[in-house]
Amino acid sequence: MMASKLTRTLRDNWLLILIFIGLLVFPHAVGWLTGSSPMGVPRGDRMIMRGESVRWQAVLIELFILSILAMSYNLMFGFTGVVSFGHALFFGVGGYVLGLALEYTQMETGTALVMGILGGVAICGILGLLIGLVSLRLRGVYFAIFTLAIAEMFFIYFGRLSLTRAEDGFSITDLPQWIDPAQNRLNYYYVALILFVLTFLFIRRLMNSPTGAVFKAVRENEDRAQSIGYNTLNYKLLAITLAGMMAAVAGMLQIILNKKVGPEILGITYTVDPLVMTIIGGIGTFTGPIIGTTGLHLLETVLREATITLGPIVIRVTDIWGVLLGGIFILVVMVFPQGVVGTWARWTARSAKSEPPA
Amino acid sequence: MNNILEVRDIHTFIGQFHILEGVTVAVPQGSITVLLGRNGAGKTTTLKSIMGMTPPTRGSIVFEGQSLVGKRPYSIAQMGIGYVPEHRAIFKELSVAENLQIAERHKGDLARKADLIFELFPDLKRLYHLPGGSLSGGQQQMLAIARALVPDNRLLLIDEPSEGLAPVIIEHLMSAIRKLAEQATVLLVEQNFRMASRLADRYVIIDEGHSPASGLMADLRQDNEQIQRYLGVA
Amino acid sequence: MAVRRSSIVAIIVVIVGLLAFNLLKSGGNLGNFGITVLSGLFQGMLLFLVASGLSIIFGLMDILNLAQGTYFMLGAYVAYDVQHAGGVVDLTSVVPDPNLRFPIAVAAAIVVGAALGVVLERGLLRRLYSRPIFQLVLTFGVSLVIIELIKFIWSTTPYSWTEVFGLRTQTFELFGQGFSVYRLFIIGMGFLLIIGIALLLRRTRTGIIIRAGVEDSAMVEALGINVRSVFTLVFTLGCAIAALGGAVAAPFLGASSSLGNAFLLQGIAVVVLGGMGSYEGTAVGSIMVGLAIAVAQDAAIGTSFSVLPSITPMLVLILILLLRPSGLFGNTR
Repeated sequence: MMASKLTRTLRDNWLLILIFIGLLVFPHAVGWLTGSSPMGVPRGDRMIMRGESVRWQAVLIELFILSILAMSYNLMFGFTGVVSFGHALFFGVGGYVLGLALEYTQMETGTALVMGILGGVAICGILGLLIGLVSLRLRGVYFAIFTLAIAEMFFIYFGRLSLTRAEDGFSITDLPQWIDPAQNRLNYYYVALILFVLTFLFIRRLMNSPTGAVFKAVRENEDRAQSIGYNTLNYKLLAITLAGMMAAVAGMLQIILNKKVGPEILGITYTVDPLVMTIIGGIGTFTGPIIGTTGLHLLETVLREATITLGPIVIRVTDIWGVLLGGIFILVVMVFPQGVVGTWARWTARSAKSEPPA
Repeated sequence: MNNILEVRDIHTFIGQFHILEGVTVAVPQGSITVLLGRNGAGKTTTLKSIMGMTPPTRGSIVFEGQSLVGKRPYSIAQMGIGYVPEHRAIFKELSVAENLQIAERHKGDLARKADLIFELFPDLKRLYHLPGGSLSGGQQQMLAIARALVPDNRLLLIDEPSEGLAPVIIEHLMSAIRKLAEQATVLLVEQNFRMASRLADRYVIIDEGHSPASGLMADLRQDNEQIQRYLGVA
Repeated sequence: MAVRRSSIVAIIVVIVGLLAFNLLKSGGNLGNFGITVLSGLFQGMLLFLVASGLSIIFGLMDILNLAQGTYFMLGAYVAYDVQHAGGVVDLTSVVPDPNLRFPIAVAAAIVVGAALGVVLERGLLRRLYSRPIFQLVLTFGVSLVIIELIKFIWSTTPYSWTEVFGLRTQTFELFGQGFSVYRLFIIGMGFLLIIGIALLLRRTRTGIIIRAGVEDSAMVEALGINVRSVFTLVFTLGCAIAALGGAVAAPFLGASSSLGNAFLLQGIAVVVLGGMGSYEGTAVGSIMVGLAIAVAQDAAIGTSFSVLPSITPMLVLILILLLRPSGLFGNTR
């Protein structure tokens, strides 16, 4: 009985499991292939983060962070149909709370880390709940505006707050050794990987549960879901609260990776990125946000040094990356609104269904 | 028989709901034809499909020999069809005058038709500069019909004119509709069977997205079984 | 126009309250008070230029054009570029007189705004009328692309207006304080525009169609009017006016990539305050929000809460959404 369930799980998820194993061995594989140590280079009693393996670890950690953010956005936007333009709020507040706990309290480092994480997740959950409570009764467009206004307000406020050193932000210096990405990046890589996998599994589990079915019903037709007897407001509140908490985790991972907290983590970039990545990858799908994030992030990493020559004009791709990204985004919205994953699913379904012409 | 409008076997979806599943309606030139049926049978959707507001996915609609399928509502209207929607959809923020002016298709339409409109609905003259929203229900209905009279329409689609109005006003409206039927063919949707049977020459029954019966109103009045079956009134 | 009496009372109370607070705070110093009022009206007029398009477009087409602020910002950059030496277009040798170059710069901004407005409505939004969420997301995406393009063309460094021209530098004196003639000029232009658009909406056939379309655009179409061409017209005008706003604001605010978001949010605050789709509401709301910002600016001087004026529009927006989401002139729909 147990065994058959296990084999079925394995069979249905072989690709995901394979990818997971691939990600587990990735730092070592890169290290082995390039002859660099996945731990970095030792100098005295410290480690210097140099070499291909640690460089790629950083790229992937960023990828995990943005994917968690995109997945959390997708839970609201893709699965429940709630459009928010203020997702950066949760990302940034999560980051600020953890940063403040680490740098501005007298707690011992380990305690500060734990308290900061718990506090940040809780605060973002409450923030999501409050924002939802006051604004979800309004029409969709008002909710979008409301979230944009709140996020922008926080962005401006923290940009001027002298306590957190305003625009410059402050550095994270007081971090437990084992998690410090400048010392033990490999450990941090595994922490981010595990959180990434947990987020994925959690959302999938949630969406396959009866609660998830109501989320989808709200997205398809809120009035109908309401007339069947569901309190759709509660479900939307749940979605935004959960999404806020997940985004907070992503923000915390980000500030530890950069070892710096500044108002830019509240900036519109962290609203735009998950929105764009989710739509390009495929809204309302499990893998869409990850595929969108991975594709675009790797593309950006690879193309960072590339140039485009138009006659006498030479353009560096980095300079027009935003334009390119926006262009891809508009193209997807106009032509493939289901994104990569949704379009792919439709094509394969169509070719499977299409029978030889009679 | 010369039909000004022929709707043949149209299918219309609203969202994912299949509302019309094959509706056929013939409207003879110069007649008053009424669509009868229960609430939600598809009468309003039939009118909206003719106007192109809920375009049919299948079937044909021919007005004076020209196909209407695939045309946008404004060009269908410009061919000479006036639409009076249900719930008296006049513009409440606009004055009575502006409600009529906006319906002009050529300069001077309103000036030419003003006498006719004020003869049918003398109230509107008095209310000419008031906002539409301040009119009573009956006056709003009159304005909605008057609006369809401003241009030279040869076919008028009128959706539930009697809805929610007092009997005296219904009588007034009926005589007005009879008078304007001298100038244009009328296709009417009406729940009020008494009003429909006194007004119309022909009927088409719409039931669950189909059009199971049609014919002369005079025949339907005798046919209690038919009335009972589709309309549920004695 | 059925305006509730409570709305009028609220408007008067807020405006009088703001002014009284400022007068008290400045200790009856009329010069200081005058500057605040003038700067409030100035900001209000700039806001009106963004918000009027936002409001009419939303009322008529049910699209919240999140690119509206970006068009404002674009107007500022285009005007800056045309006025000053160097840049993409250099007119200093063709039109050496800066007083003459300024109207050209403003006209160029209007043309660019209108052109991009047509492109956005005709080319993109029109195809998405069956998918409203995507329209919203698309305007957001378009604003990003324009911002990125601006950064690419003009770099990310903010520009401050350096060119000296007559209108900008002349001042007049009132209560012993110097006032810029240019501000007065903008305020006058704003009032003319408010009246002009009101006349367009009230007196012309196109205006009647627009007002009817705000109520029920499907019915307007069923009367035989091609509503989509009216959509294009309104959208284009809205974008052109926003660009005009950016152009005339540039001599004061310069050109920077933070203008777009700031004015979008302020514009949205105005529109929500006035009531989505209500022209009168937008006009009154612009002046109220403009005054509120000016009073907040004055109040924040010398205090540690210097962030107040920047977040005033958001506070207004949040308060209105909480207290009265239909706005001052909004119908409850």
